[in-house]
Amino acid sequence: MPDSSSVLSGAAAPGERLLQVLIRYGLLWLLALIVVFFSVVEPAFLRVGNLFSILQSVSIVALLALGVTLTMAVGGLDLSIGAVAAMSLMIASYVMVVLGWGAVPAVLISLAGGVLVGLLNGWLIVRLRVPDILATLGSMFLVIGVQLIPTGGRSIAVGMTLPGGAEAEGAFSAAFLALGRGRVWQVVPIPVLITAVIALSVWLFLERTRVGRLFYAIGGNEQAARLAGAPVPRLKLLAYVLSALLASLGGLLLAARLGRGDVSSGNGLVLDALGAALIGFAVLGAKKPNAFGTLIGALLVAALLNGLTMLNAPYYTQDFVKGLVLVLALMFTFGLAHRAR
Amino acid sequence: MHGSIKQFARHCLAAALLSSVALSAQAKALPGAPAPFDKGEVNIALVGYLFSGDFPEAYLRGVEQQTEALGAKLRVFDARQQAASQGEMIDQAIALGVDGIIVQLGLAETLKAPIERAIAKGIKVVAFDVDLNTPQVTQVEQDHHALARLALDQAVKDNGTRFDAGYVFISGFTPMERRDEIWRQLKQDNPGIVEKARFGTLNPPIANSVADQASAVLRANPGISVIFAPFDEFAKGAKIAVDEAGLGRQVKIYSADISTADIQIMKEPDSAWAATAAVNPQVAGAISVRSLAMLIAGENPGHQVLVPPTLITRQQLLDLDVKNVRDLAQKLPAFGDTANVARAPWIPVAN
Repeated sequence: MPDSSSVLSGAAAPGERLLQVLIRYGLLWLLALIVVFFSVVEPAFLRVGNLFSILQSVSIVALLALGVTLTMAVGGLDLSIGAVAAMSLMIASYVMVVLGWGAVPAVLISLAGGVLVGLLNGWLIVRLRVPDILATLGSMFLVIGVQLIPTGGRSIAVGMTLPGGAEAEGAFSAAFLALGRGRVWQVVPIPVLITAVIALSVWLFLERTRVGRLFYAIGGNEQAARLAGAPVPRLKLLAYVLSALLASLGGLLLAARLGRGDVSSGNGLVLDALGAALIGFAVLGAKKPNAFGTLIGALLVAALLNGLTMLNAPYYTQDFVKGLVLVLALMFTFGLAHRAR
Repeated sequence: MHGSIKQFARHCLAAALLSSVALSAQAKALPGAPAPFDKGEVNIALVGYLFSGDFPEAYLRGVEQQTEALGAKLRVFDARQQAASQGEMIDQAIALGVDGIIVQLGLAETLKAPIERAIAKGIKVVAFDVDLNTPQVTQVEQDHHALARLALDQAVKDNGTRFDAGYVFISGFTPMERRDEIWRQLKQDNPGIVEKARFGTLNPPIANSVADQASAVLRANPGISVIFAPFDEFAKGAKIAVDEAGLGRQVKIYSADISTADIQIMKEPDSAWAATAAVNPQVAGAISVRSLAMLIAGENPGHQVLVPPTLITRQQLLDLDVKNVRDLAQKLPAFGDTANVARAPWIPVAN
């Protein structure tokens, strides 16, 4: 998106221009710098296998982050995505392991569950006018609780003992596990492929369709969008449904990777996803939620963590590094951009 | 609003759990046993920090069965990972006038005061895997040293005393630190064993986050042939990374703990997860009850009671066709054996 202010200030002092460049490309440079640095220090970093394992580690968080990006675009926020991912993981495991229904019903029922939570969120926010953070926080707790009831709070594993004392008969089907573990042409992990397709779709949707531009219009000024004739309630509902749908897709990929319905899974993903979407604000000086930025944000964090692990950096530096990148990105987005005005 | 919904769901679950327990637990006399067990009016409370997950569930089952064998009556309090309410529940148990309390997990800080109130009232207390640091309390603990030693002995048996290792470790938790002591000792005794990388995280989902780390470690250190992951969530993550790197035949994983899910993963074709050492949680539950019973009867089980672990190899699981933890206890007698620790002739052993 060409920013008109940057065009105008092109004739300004060189210092100003440098600042503009810094704001636009700062994070991309940082990413390049990280890649170069780690490749020099540890040559294994740049091998194809490792690059794909970085992408693999990004794919699930990126899906959730893309969902959050959609809700951020309409000026909202979806805190329930982590819980929805966890629920989808539990539903899929339950359908396959306890009910023994196979992969296709598992995927469909999980996605339907996600859509249901999205509708609930949208309904709370649009119809009942509950503030978005509160509404999705509420549904987050609700979903975390609901997913525990069918199994009595237990994790779902093949051969588990059911609350009644019997043993679960079903198993994760090979086709389902391939969703999280398989590779195309022996190289590209399937989750990476799925996330790439989704990311491209979200990008096209937000940047190239009329509905996508209406999303941004609502996020910019809801009142103005309403007066201009945009069906605001319906579009906001759509944003929350899409967000929950992507989150449940993320949960499915997680289930396929873990091969187990782990009650503690998923809930921790929400912060990483939010972080990626927020870092995305700064990419290319967009100053707004955008799919490309979100992807770069997720990638930046994952590349850093992968490289640091290769260099044997201790685990407790991880959160610190994530926070550092986020604060840096916020500085690019708000602090520097403000000064450039 | 969300809080009340969450609590509502919790109460429903707690009620369901309690009612099922109350039905199964009934006091009956145990002829020939020391007082008060000969009259059959013994009440025991189990105040747990958490009961969700494979391990705590099996622990609870062990407690229930041993209590029933003793003819005592059991009340279960589930604090659902709320340290404060666990403290309040101990006070509740005191008010109910129980003869003994088993404290399962939790934080010593919030437990200490109510436990002292219980001891002042003459109530006997056993603590499982939480160090209350009170002389009157019998500590039942997993033998973490033996656990790490069993797993590492197997690693040395399979791989010799010269190998490059990846080590998954997080400091700050008593079980991990104790297991770490054995790992350090092994490295010291065998200079051929080199720790090439140390990693680990508790970022949930743990297995997923550890898998991402292990991927990086395996790429950076292609020579690694052994991964020591003394916590099963860590081992699961390492296993995912080994599979993704296609190294199932080159790398072997040694771990601690066992669950039904772990058994399935260990049995997968070409699984790198070679062995694990684990305490049978059900045995730990039974031992907790027996220790408490001895205290109530005026006998001394000792200040510290260690629950011995068992080595479980992938080969055993395949040979015996083990499906889950319950199956394992039946097919691997050492794992199911409840008879050795905290025994008195008058205490019937639950099967």
